[in-house]
Amino acid sequence: MKIHVYATLKDYFSSEFELQTVAHNTDELKRHLVQINDQAEQILDSCRFAVEDGFIDNDYKLKENDTVIIIPPASGG
Amino acid sequence: MIRSSSSLPPVEANEPSLEVSEVISAAPLDIVGLLSGAHHPAAGAIVLFSGEVREHNKGREVAYLEYEAYPPMAIRMIHEILADAREKWGLQHAIAQHRIGRLAIGESAVVVITASSHRREAYEANRHIIDRIKHEVPIWKCEYYADGSHQWGNNCNCHATTGDAAKHIYE
Repeated sequence: MKIHVYATLKDYFSSEFELQTVAHNTDELKRHLVQINDQAEQILDSCRFAVEDGFIDNDYKLKENDTVIIIPPASGG
Repeated sequence: MIRSSSSLPPVEANEPSLEVSEVISAAPLDIVGLLSGAHHPAAGAIVLFSGEVREHNKGREVAYLEYEAYPPMAIRMIHEILADAREKWGLQHAIAQHRIGRLAIGESAVVVITASSHRREAYEANRHIIDRIKHEVPIWKCEYYADGSHQWGNNCNCHATTGDAAKHIYE
């Protein structure tokens, strides 16, 4: 699955990358991401996830061809 | 290959530039122009809020800011927030525009304009709109300091209290 990250998450991951392992939900995805960079654990806990430009929660069944957008807490304004 | 010299500053989205410029703008915000368009014969009050780039934050000297957005969701969410406010307060106008890219001290990062029959609704709705934009909409600030370092903003820290990144506490 494809992962796109924004803002502070770009300090921890490439802005766009392909995750080779399949994550079935956002909790699994978080665990995979922490394996890539364990420094990101705290910030990932504060992030929201989106697929097809709609927010998803852990009940959403991720599919192999999903592009997951990871959205850190907003700091606009 | 010839590159057009008139191309717009890069916006990180595959959105048409017109749609992007409506609520997310890579160009300086035209505060006076937006205000001029907000007059309405039924509106006795217009409130304009401008969030501005400050020269200091938490004791550190700020050189400039950069804002990044995820436009496909940010645009839709700002439109939804404005529509909610129009309905809740019966506004004649609810307008918001957020800047992205590099901003100098004193520039406007976000403008919210509300027009209503009376001032109370215009003030309340305006406050509501800017609070929701700051907490909910995928737009992020990065502060660049005079000493050369930088830090991504972390305005919304509600998840630390609510335990849910989707639940916010407004001022």
